[in-house]
Amino acid sequence: MRNRSLFLIPLLFVLLSLAAYAQAPAAQGKFDPHDFSGIWLRRGGDRGISPKAPPMTPAGEARMKLNIPARSRSPLAKAPDDPSTSNDPAFSCNPKGFPRILIDTAHDYHEVVYTKDGRMLQLWQEERRPREIWLDGRKVPSGENLDNLGPAWYGHSVGHWEGDTLIVETVGLDDRAWVDLFGFPKSTEARVVERYKRVDADTMTVQLTLYDSKYYTAPWESDVKTWKKQPRDKVTFFGWYGLFSGAGELICAPMNANGVNKHGG
Amino acid sequence: MKKLLTSFLLIAALVVVAAPLFAHHGRGATYDMKKEVMLKGTITEVAWRNPHVAIYMDVKGPDGKVTNWAFENSNVSTLARQGYNRNTLKIGEEITAVVNPSAQGAPRGIVVKVILPDGKEIMSRGSGANPVD
Amino acid sequence: MRSRLILALAVVGILLMAVAAQAQGGRGNRANAPAAPPDNRPFDAKDLSGYWISTVGGHALGTKAPPLTPAGIAAMKGRVPDTQNKLPGNAPWYQCNPMGFPRLVLDNEPIELVMLNDRVLQLFQWEWTLRELWLDGRQLPSGDNLENLGPSWYGESVARWEGNTLVVQTTGLDERAWLDNNGDPKSFYAVFEERYQRTSFDTIELQISVTDPKFYTAPWVGAKRVYRRLPLSEVTFSGYKSLYSGNTDAICAPINEAEDYNKRIRDPAAFGAK
Repeated sequence: MRNRSLFLIPLLFVLLSLAAYAQAPAAQGKFDPHDFSGIWLRRGGDRGISPKAPPMTPAGEARMKLNIPARSRSPLAKAPDDPSTSNDPAFSCNPKGFPRILIDTAHDYHEVVYTKDGRMLQLWQEERRPREIWLDGRKVPSGENLDNLGPAWYGHSVGHWEGDTLIVETVGLDDRAWVDLFGFPKSTEARVVERYKRVDADTMTVQLTLYDSKYYTAPWESDVKTWKKQPRDKVTFFGWYGLFSGAGELICAPMNANGVNKHGG
Repeated sequence: MKKLLTSFLLIAALVVVAAPLFAHHGRGATYDMKKEVMLKGTITEVAWRNPHVAIYMDVKGPDGKVTNWAFENSNVSTLARQGYNRNTLKIGEEITAVVNPSAQGAPRGIVVKVILPDGKEIMSRGSGANPVD
Repeated sequence: MRSRLILALAVVGILLMAVAAQAQGGRGNRANAPAAPPDNRPFDAKDLSGYWISTVGGHALGTKAPPLTPAGIAAMKGRVPDTQNKLPGNAPWYQCNPMGFPRLVLDNEPIELVMLNDRVLQLFQWEWTLRELWLDGRQLPSGDNLENLGPSWYGESVARWEGNTLVVQTTGLDERAWLDNNGDPKSFYAVFEERYQRTSFDTIELQISVTDPKFYTAPWVGAKRVYRRLPLSEVTFSGYKSLYSGNTDAICAPINEAEDYNKRIRDPAAFGAK
């Protein structure tokens, strides 16, 4: 009897260690699934909405043919041999707009903060751009109101919770900004719905859908984009914590772009 | 005495017309602020964007020739706070625009005021509500 | 005859007074309105949150600049400000380069101040951008850290409370951005100080000063400027309350500025139709 229990204790130890190892890739620690506060680094997901767009309408195809991206995913908008001849508006410091600022990256930062009056703010290091997501119960503008507001490069965003998923709806987007770096277009009728989920203490996922029946014959659903929360020391540069400093200067200034950034990307 | 009275009133009138010039910066030399031109025509484009909202309109001259004029206003933020938006003026609308014209004779101007068909005046620069600076 | 002259002089006098009041305006008939009674509503002096706008145009510190050093004179060379007597100047923001600090704060366009636990967030409608004024006790970058960080259009800012005054220091600024509409220079090593004081429910007083021995022979203390609270009607358009919307999208986009406005409006007006 005694010999068996002596054997069991190390076995138990081994089993517990194995269990702990299996859990290790996921972050330890509690988290509030309704709180996305912190600095996030993009760590997964396609650089477009998804690798394959739905079939386009004739209007969408006609619009796309005007675009000369630096990288191509469709014969409708081919990349030239010389990328400096691309007419990607972002290369001459026009805003990337939404959703491009969110999807067009393999590795960039934004910080989420909350205001007392019910806003979730995304502070994008690229372009030094604040994005407001209203959580105060309002509806997205529509009809005559939306028409009078007109398009904005970053649109008008409103969110609400469904369980532990934050649903964000954005309308009123400027159609001069491309959907992505591949030259896919979006119209002023475009509506983007994002679904945010905090998977664990360090991981946030975003899945989005573009509804734009003027240019696409079906909703365009994205893959899952993954963001990793950054510890303080990873976003402290030369003693300065935070995304906005000389080390994190990502405003696109034409005096920099002209002649310096001709190859874009 | 009559001459003196007339001179005083003329000076006063000139000062009033020129007053908005003193309140603004940087555009005075591009436009002839002492001149006003009345443009009657049809709106062809509303460029509701910065740096200055621009309205384009087809104006028929006395010779029957149509010239496309453009006049600038304040920026989108300022106009929005005054209650205007991109649909305040619509393509195809007939308006009368009073403008200070380009000093170089180009069909360009800076708004003084816009008069709608019903006689209502909007976007007037004289009251300080549409500053172009 | 004499009474007619007196009448004429009275008319001219009234007209001149109206002109003077109008020139001080920029807010239409409000310039001619009688003075409002003092605002006695209670307020928390350490809560600067809300939407604010400068009551002053001019886009400058509001006082005369101290003499420039030789380096300051050199830095200012080639800058052509807009003036009444010259054609449009060459301020870098005309090509959509950022206005930078302090020029953007000096602009009379809507700003929002958001009080967070560790910083004051300053959101700007013009340029659709932000500043972070850190209240977490950190020091302004200096020495090797500052050199390694390098310049940025809006620099690095630290803030602290001195009684009821929020004192903000900023350094590390990109020298290519003009300090003001006049093209006055500022060096990377300049240290700006902003002093924000909420003086009533609806007003904040701001004074900006700069110490920049590389470019100026003395500190430059700016004028105190009043920022008024924007009423809801001036931040709500078509039922949508926000600093940011399609109606007020003030991002400087080259496709608007250089390709559209400059080409189609400014240059023909200034140089004649081509």
